[in-house]
Amino acid sequence: MALLQIVEPGQSAQPHQHRLAVGIDLGTTNSLVATLRSGIAETLADAEGKVILPSVVRYQADQIEVGQSAKEAAAQDPLNTIVSVKRLMGRGLADVQQLGGQMPYHFVAGSSQMPFIETLQGIKSPVEVSAEILRVLRLRAEQALGGELLGAVITVPAYFDDAQRQATKDAAKLAGLNVLRLLNEPTAAAVAYGLDTQAEGLVAIYDLGGGTFDISILRLSRGVFEVLSTGGDSALGGDDFDHAIADWVLAQSGASHDLSPGEQRHLLNLACAAKERLSQVEQVELAFAQWQGVLSRLCFEGLIEPLISKSLKACRRALRDAEIEAADVQAVVMVGGSTRVPRVRQAVAELFGREPMTDIDPDKVVAIGAAIQADTLAGNRRDGNELVLLDVIPLSLGLETMGGLMEKVIPRNTTIPIARAQEFTTYKDGQTAMMIHVLQGERDLISDCRSLARFELRGIPPMVAGSAKIRVTFQVDADGLLSVSARELSSGIEASVQIKPSYGLTDGEIARMLEDSLARAADDKSARALREQQVDAWRLLEAVDSALNLDGERLLDSSEREAIEAAMLRLRAAIDEQDAAVIEQRIKHLTQVTDAFAARRMDATMHAALAGRKLDEIEI
Amino acid sequence: MATSSYFTLFELPPAFEIDLDLLAARYRELARSLHPDRVADASEGERRHALERAAQLNDAYQTLKTPPLRARHLLALQGHEMDLEATIQDPSFLLQQLEWREELEALQEAANLSGIAAFKTRLNQSQQALGRDFAPLWQNPAQRQVAEQLVRRMQFLDKLSLQVRQLEERLDD
Repeated sequence: MALLQIVEPGQSAQPHQHRLAVGIDLGTTNSLVATLRSGIAETLADAEGKVILPSVVRYQADQIEVGQSAKEAAAQDPLNTIVSVKRLMGRGLADVQQLGGQMPYHFVAGSSQMPFIETLQGIKSPVEVSAEILRVLRLRAEQALGGELLGAVITVPAYFDDAQRQATKDAAKLAGLNVLRLLNEPTAAAVAYGLDTQAEGLVAIYDLGGGTFDISILRLSRGVFEVLSTGGDSALGGDDFDHAIADWVLAQSGASHDLSPGEQRHLLNLACAAKERLSQVEQVELAFAQWQGVLSRLCFEGLIEPLISKSLKACRRALRDAEIEAADVQAVVMVGGSTRVPRVRQAVAELFGREPMTDIDPDKVVAIGAAIQADTLAGNRRDGNELVLLDVIPLSLGLETMGGLMEKVIPRNTTIPIARAQEFTTYKDGQTAMMIHVLQGERDLISDCRSLARFELRGIPPMVAGSAKIRVTFQVDADGLLSVSARELSSGIEASVQIKPSYGLTDGEIARMLEDSLARAADDKSARALREQQVDAWRLLEAVDSALNLDGERLLDSSEREAIEAAMLRLRAAIDEQDAAVIEQRIKHLTQVTDAFAARRMDATMHAALAGRKLDEIEI
Repeated sequence: MATSSYFTLFELPPAFEIDLDLLAARYRELARSLHPDRVADASEGERRHALERAAQLNDAYQTLKTPPLRARHLLALQGHEMDLEATIQDPSFLLQQLEWREELEALQEAANLSGIAAFKTRLNQSQQALGRDFAPLWQNPAQRQVAEQLVRRMQFLDKLSLQVRQLEERLDD
């Protein structure tokens, strides 16, 4: 009898088959997808041979346009054409309202404080908009490579906080992409640069994109890329240069600042074009409404000086954090279209005392670096020369303590992955629950920091105040994403933790978005099946969550509740695994585990109906 | 509870005075050999395991790199961890602490950059002096109290360094 050959899950029958993985640069202004083919990294082009995809999404009544055509329509259709959506990722409604004049869209609050944009196709979250861009890139890659992707490395600004990273990962999931890693943009650039030049030593990456600025200091040493420090500003970029020019034009022309969204977009387009021209010539002519004028390079440089200063300040801080001097840096690499501005190059050269490297294409270098790492993570490189990336967390993580102060648990520039614990105790006799507020930022007051999540620790055994020992553990993974767990030490009980992200999507919102995308997707059968399971999973999670909130305290004891929450966690994990069968299994399991609970809720309802009494009067 | 030695992990003899360059080089080697996770085909359990190992390595490196943490680790290797909750009974140092703090406040008020530089140098020298005092006596159980006191002082000066850096940043404009 022949022995059956058992293949381990994940291993293909042909172990040397190249796995399809890509790197994606999801930029504020432009996006790209790249991959390694025969060991050479290349950006992938669309049907017209263009590799750059403008990060612009236009919602029309019957279709969704992404890219160049959407960009060209922006001035005519400003409210439905979403430009620079990256600036909205992971932000709350309050942040967005601060951007005020800069973004003309009609914002509406979602269930979780996430700002939704009103469009012709209904309200859209920034996550959905980003997913449209990613979807186009995924389809482009699948077409070019002739198959389904195993996964993608998606880059994010190094200075992105947890909420912004989660939002990016959510967008990828919506677009049907398996995220191999969230990679910091400067690190990606360092990889492309380092492997290209075989450089060793201290390198600074100055990355000025459309909407974000990052500075990273790395040590390159025989294939190990170690980030020593990173800094930046997630709200500083080329877009701000455009705004500076636009404001100048309005001042010069005496025109009112009260422009229609269409006029505003038109003016910004003019400003952007002028900015790009001024990298080549000494002055440009501008015409807007009734006004005509000339903008000299010198004048432009004056306008952007405060912005460049901001970036240099972040550079100096990164140098201090790395405990090195500017002169110690052996190479400075410029990344991002905005680094083509001559004054930017000059300022950077002045700070570091050397000319920055500009021969690497600043538009492509990030995607290329991401593609290289994707190749490694997919398991294609087994030659012992795999690159090792040691990245850091850009912002300190901590907790709210008495008096509205932020206490840091993991300081910024700590190498990730990392786990740290902090111990707490109760302040009231018999206290069985505790509210924990997780924050990110450098300031002392919590109001100056980014609120990431609040959660309640339940199930603390009732004790005298001060005797319970609760250890809260922070874990930051290689994507820079935080997860929190807690344990009560004196009794050994794992207290249940439920995190409500302050700016995340609710389960209901995710379910709805997935359904929307299903309705439109031209995906093949297996992708559909997966997506359907995912929708069912989110819906079930939403229902169980709601039931727990309403009746959990009354109708369940703590071990039953723990069992349900464990099953929920496993189902959430399964959704990420992208295996429809596993998701189905875990849905069944959660349904089983909540069966008794559902029955009790029914009984309680029926009981009340029969007895004609109100539900909250009933004791179970 | 026995603490496993981070020194063993990095193949360094347990001591307060260590070769930081060598530590860094060993760290990079270990990071490399931990194998970049082949994320795409690893199971959930494998990935979690790899994540834990990487986090442990990073924690070990941070600990040995940072003088007060290194000192605490050395004391932990002697049998028991330092009790961080214990109230400080260090009256002579308390006075110094107040002086340091007042001086820093004055520098802040005056926005005196060269004064800050001088302050940093003195701070550095004090930190090194504490290290020199700690190095010979951490292994001696009879000197345990003294050793712990030195570590607490190191921690204070470390915090002070951080405040100096924050001040430098605020003044950088």
